[in-house]
Amino acid sequence: MKIAVCLKQVPDMESKFKIVDGKKIDESQIAFKINDFDNYAVEAALQLKEKLGGEVVIVTCGPDRASKDIRQAFAMGADWGIHVNDPAVESGDNFVVASVLQKAIETIGGVDLVLTGVQAEDDQAAVTGVMLADLMGLPHCTNVKKLEINGNNLTVNRELEGGFNEVIEMSAPAVLSIQSGINEPRYPTLPGIMKAKKKRLDVKKGADLGVSPKSKTDFIKMFFPVSEHKAEIIQGDPATAAAKLIEKLKTEAKVI
Amino acid sequence: MAKILAIAEHKNGKLTDGTLELCKAAKAIASALGAEPAAAVLGKDDSVAKEVAKYIPLVFSVTNAALEKYTSDGYVQGVKAVVESQDVKGVLISHSYDGVDYAAKVAMAINAGIVSNCNKARIDGGAVIFTRNTYNGKIQEEKKVNTDKFVATFEKGAYDMEPAGSPGTVTAVSASIGAIRTTVKGIIETMAGAVDISQAKIIVSGGRGCKDADKYKEFIVSLAKKLGGEYGASRPVVDSGWTDAARQVGQSGKTVNPDLYIAVGISGAIQHVAGMKGAKCIVAINKDPEAPIFNIATYGIVGDLFEVIPAMLASL
Ligand SMILES: Cc1cc2nc3c(=O)[nH]c(=O)nc-3n(C[C@H](O)[C@H](O)[C@H](O)COP(=O)(O)OP(=O)(O)OC[C@H]3O[C@@H](n4cnc5c(N)ncnc54)[C@H](O)[C@@H]3O)c2cc1C
Ligand SMILES: Nc1ncnc2c1ncn2[C@@H]1O[C@H](COP(=O)(O)O)[C@@H](O)[C@H]1O
Repeated sequence: MKIAVCLKQVPDMESKFKIVDGKKIDESQIAFKINDFDNYAVEAALQLKEKLGGEVVIVTCGPDRASKDIRQAFAMGADWGIHVNDPAVESGDNFVVASVLQKAIETIGGVDLVLTGVQAEDDQAAVTGVMLADLMGLPHCTNVKKLEINGNNLTVNRELEGGFNEVIEMSAPAVLSIQSGINEPRYPTLPGIMKAKKKRLDVKKGADLGVSPKSKTDFIKMFFPVSEHKAEIIQGDPATAAAKLIEKLKTEAKVI
Repeated sequence: MAKILAIAEHKNGKLTDGTLELCKAAKAIASALGAEPAAAVLGKDDSVAKEVAKYIPLVFSVTNAALEKYTSDGYVQGVKAVVESQDVKGVLISHSYDGVDYAAKVAMAINAGIVSNCNKARIDGGAVIFTRNTYNGKIQEEKKVNTDKFVATFEKGAYDMEPAGSPGTVTAVSASIGAIRTTVKGIIETMAGAVDISQAKIIVSGGRGCKDADKYKEFIVSLAKKLGGEYGASRPVVDSGWTDAARQVGQSGKTVNPDLYIAVGISGAIQHVAGMKGAKCIVAINKDPEAPIFNIATYGIVGDLFEVIPAMLASL
């Protein structure tokens, strides 16, 4: 079974964010990591490979820094990867990224399953996987919480609101967006990290793949949310603040 | 007249709250654009379409046995049929589990740009400008499409629910529904558990900031017990197995409305907030002063939970 996993590198959300000119994030203070949902997708792919054989290919669109996290997936056990490193793609929207991912996956050939994360933690769009399925002409399922394969037959659980799953049958090849909690992503081992350094990573531009898609959406600006409501922040060292809080919960809010 | 089309979402004949929010959104966007608000309802018959007509004057109904249950292929074909037979400028879809599953495919099918997960829309120079959360709610951005038509998905609560009024008209739109490549076998419950935290008056919830299962028990469970309440969790805590799924609060977990909700080491992602924003009093304890949870909390302490919680226990 040949599985492509779409992996995005995203900021660690606990980083200190600074916005430059309302247009972009100042990256100098930001730590980057694998999009959490994609980490579950990598693990899902590795488990299928362990069961059924085959290979796991990582596909990423991102700048130079993204190669660190492609290698992280290699260290977990992925076999090789394609890194589309192209400023024109980088500045494009989800449609541009999906179009480029489609072409990149096409060059792998014979892919049975494409896994993405449910959403990227940075843009929170949750559209790229579905667009990719459409471009590839494949059926898809989003928010996958369970996955079983029998030959070409897939049985998947699609997560729904409020603690329910829908059980769906479909056939491979297909595109699945993987939801957190489907498995327990492994940590890279030391030998894994050593091997990862030597694994094949093809670096490409959009032009190498024969695509130059145009965004269908325009970014206007970014800003910090202005909330009409802000919590009353209780000041002081932990002991003082905690005592004041308990007092307020008793006498002001009257909830304890 | 150009139409702004809200796509109804229904389960077992019942409309979701999000559908009524989309009716409100369609009316607001249509009136600002000089367009006409409308809705499309896909189903096996037009009973739900008649229900939707109480909330929006113009309803297009696509009926087909293949549309009895939601499938992405079925919904894309149904919506496309309405868009192609009417003068539709924009399509509004809930950013729900079903919405996320097909909205981007609708955009591809009608050659439109999509702005997903929006919480606001305004009109500027004839264009609809959408506001949306990014970076786990820490930053907002504005986007618009550069295509003739647009598709937008709205997060839950972005608009109030439209109240019922006098019934509008239901117009049938015929659509031939072709291949549906997914088969729905059934629905299962995955969070059934011995405990029902939805009735608790006091809930102390821990998030990823609690670090591991032992610390979650030591700090969160103890505080909940001392306050005579229940303990809850954000999704990563359940994903990591620190507590059972029945205690997860949020979009994919429980909705709770306690008198007091204490969120400890929880950032305040929209999917978590969806399940607890109805609490009377919300306390946030987080070391990051910019965590979005402080935007909805009543009281906040910026600090290390491993110092603040013991101090709270000592003051009780
Ligand atoms: C379709 C979908 C459905 C989802 N459903 C749900 C759901 O039902 N419920 C849910 O909760 N999430 C849900 N999520 C996940 C959601 O998007 C967030 O990822 C999740 O809520 C984050 O959990 P968290 O706040 O515990 O972790 P994080 O976002 O990682 O936040 C951890 C917080 O802890 C703070 N912290 C760290 N250390 C300390 C310390 N020592 N002292 C004090 N503070 C500290 C950090 O500053 C940070 O703010 C869903 C996501 C998707 C895409
Ligand atoms: N630049 C990218 N490179 C590789 N995969 C991506 C990229 N952007 C998005 N994806 C994939 O698409 C999923 C959904 O992303 P989004 O639609 O941006 O929320 C992610 O979890 C990834 O699997």
